[in-house]
Amino acid sequence: MDLELSEEQQMIKDMTRALLGEHCPIEVVREMEDDPKGYPAGLWKQMAEAGLVGVLIPESHGGGGLGLLEAALVYEELGRAMAPTPHFVSAVLSAGMLLEAGSEAQQEAWLPKIVAGDAILTPAWLEPDRGFGPEGVALAAKREGDEYLLSGVKRHVNYASSAERLIVLARSDDGVELLLVDPSGDGVELKQIRSQSGEAHYRVELRDVRVPVSARIGAAGSGWETFAKVLQDGLVLQAAQAIGGADRCLENTVEYAKVRKQFDKPLGAFQALAHYMADASTQIEGGRVLVHEAAWNGALGRSTARFAPMAKLFACNTYQDVTRVCAQIWGGVAFTIEYDTQMYFRRAKEMQLSWWDTPYLEELVAADVLDQ
Amino acid sequence: MDFDFSPEEQKFADEVEQWLTENHDPVVMDPTRENFTQLADTPERRDFMKKLAKQGWLGMSWPKEYGGQEIEGVYEFILNEALSRHAAPQIGKGVGIIGKTLIRHGSDFLKAEFLPKILSAEVEFAVGYSEPEAGSDAANMQLKADKVDGGWNLNGQKMWTTSAHFADWYWVGARTDPDKPKHDGLSLFLIPMDHAGLEIQSLPTIGKDTTNQVFFTDVFVPDEYLVGKRGQGFQMIAEALDLERFTMFTLSPISERTRVLVDWAKTATRDDKPIRENPDTRRLIANIVTDTAVAKALSTRFVCAAKAGGKPPSIQSSQYKLFTTTLSQRVCDEALDITGAAGTIREGQDEAPIRGRFEGAYRATMNETVGGGSSEIQKNIIARRHLGLPKNF
Repeated sequence: MDLELSEEQQMIKDMTRALLGEHCPIEVVREMEDDPKGYPAGLWKQMAEAGLVGVLIPESHGGGGLGLLEAALVYEELGRAMAPTPHFVSAVLSAGMLLEAGSEAQQEAWLPKIVAGDAILTPAWLEPDRGFGPEGVALAAKREGDEYLLSGVKRHVNYASSAERLIVLARSDDGVELLLVDPSGDGVELKQIRSQSGEAHYRVELRDVRVPVSARIGAAGSGWETFAKVLQDGLVLQAAQAIGGADRCLENTVEYAKVRKQFDKPLGAFQALAHYMADASTQIEGGRVLVHEAAWNGALGRSTARFAPMAKLFACNTYQDVTRVCAQIWGGVAFTIEYDTQMYFRRAKEMQLSWWDTPYLEELVAADVLDQ
Repeated sequence: MDFDFSPEEQKFADEVEQWLTENHDPVVMDPTRENFTQLADTPERRDFMKKLAKQGWLGMSWPKEYGGQEIEGVYEFILNEALSRHAAPQIGKGVGIIGKTLIRHGSDFLKAEFLPKILSAEVEFAVGYSEPEAGSDAANMQLKADKVDGGWNLNGQKMWTTSAHFADWYWVGARTDPDKPKHDGLSLFLIPMDHAGLEIQSLPTIGKDTTNQVFFTDVFVPDEYLVGKRGQGFQMIAEALDLERFTMFTLSPISERTRVLVDWAKTATRDDKPIRENPDTRRLIANIVTDTAVAKALSTRFVCAAKAGGKPPSIQSSQYKLFTTTLSQRVCDEALDITGAAGTIREGQDEAPIRGRFEGAYRATMNETVGGGSSEIQKNIIARRHLGLPKNF
């Protein structure tokens, strides 16, 4: 057993932190909240040039060809900086689906562009009043000859206004399909939704949108399997991001608790508050090692089916817990916009509710241990 | 990064597993016992410890000079986890607290007298730090040790000495210098447990084990049984506590509790319906299983920090102890919630669900979150040493 990072892994972590420190200070994060585009072009370009956008994509498609563990280290840093980027939807989920099931032509058309940061792709998955499972996908894909005719509404489509293609999860007679759709095409309407974190979310309405069968990723009816597998590995990265956010929020709070005085002594000298912080650091450390264990398993090609949902469940609950108690330590300023704690607090809740939420993950874990 | 044991470590783990299976002894390895607090002393237990000694498995991490093998603590961790999984006694305080402190600080006389006996499992120790006024605040011990000709004269009282009723020797902290600051006025002594001036009174506990209070009346301790230097008792105690948590609180009892609960929940019914179909049960179990994985992750963190050498891994040890003992209690608590009213039926009765294991364990967990440094002490350690928060408590 050995939990140390290799020299290369440490370098990636340090490099990401330095890059985000320079190109994604807190002012930039604030500016991007509720912005229609939602990410700073300069940061995205720098990330692409540094090889971070393509970190998980094989070298044959221009990527870095690194594993889930290295990506998790990058995501912990993205979480610490609260960096607003389309990395997850484009370079993890969309690229992952193309790698998993895309045709050679689809891979060639999109992967190098994704790696270079020149094209953004994003999945259009969730629908109003529908859940996270395969039965949640109801948007109709009616097969007409060599085309699918799409009609329905998607919500929580991240960075849709910047996307060159949406990967729409739709239901045909064969099952769930993954279909590449041009968001600027006829019949597609985007409307920005203001989310709790301020991330660029869109409602996407599709009205009789025609896409050729060649725009389908993978075999007919295989879409859910592909999506769920890619998202499962992606959960590890969401978990890493949550741990990063929790860690930074606690770090800021500990520094504040050392200098801010009440009743003539520093806040950190009050046992009630010190114990909040001790608990938080313990949860964060446990979550971090679990995330690393999940990522390490994934990198070795072992299944992440058990670890990934546990990692996201624990890490997102931890992020929420930690930001909640940090707010108690900051006191009144915590809920003013001027201070940063509220930014972590909002993101923690949004991450907990996104990409498979606490009840859905609990059910995955329960099914894994109780129903076999 | 590597979460697997190395091939050598795995080979040792397999060897231990095979040995424990071949040497299964239903008296020593009672699977219904809770292994955090296996404190019964029987001839079978002493025989078992001697067998472990013959295998060369006691004191593996000690220097060769003192009969050890100078191998990494991870081997002791592997052994302890396996012992615990088989509900067998742990390698114990002699190897950990007492042996390691004597190696670091003891005189040649004390090393020669005790180290060989520890390695051959010929001696059992009790540890006396707590007192009525000094529980978590170990520096506040008041047991008096007055300097007299050729030694020390001890008067006062100790509390919570769990193995006093069967130990051979007592490892005791006492105040030798009442005028010095309280951390600097303590010293450590070794006293034969059958010393005439010691009176042991048992204190039944909520769990299965008995603890004891011990009264000292003019207990004479010769100079050569002072451990280390006069006044360094507190520093040695603090150091040993960091080492102790490694051997005291193994992960296996929690993994076992979680496994037993999950296995039971797979088949149990209420109102003719499988309880595993109950959404609340599913939710509780999902979180217990997840938190058990986190506990395992923290144990890996702890073992790796210990392997890295240098200082005792006090932060990781505190985080691990805090998280796992709290979880252990929660597992029992929620297991009883899931069993419902039947959960109140005491261990050992036919109608008790899961043989009353969680009923008994629930009671015993009160010792886990308090003993060996309470959760609050662990939080103080993390707050001060890890987060660097100011000392004012």
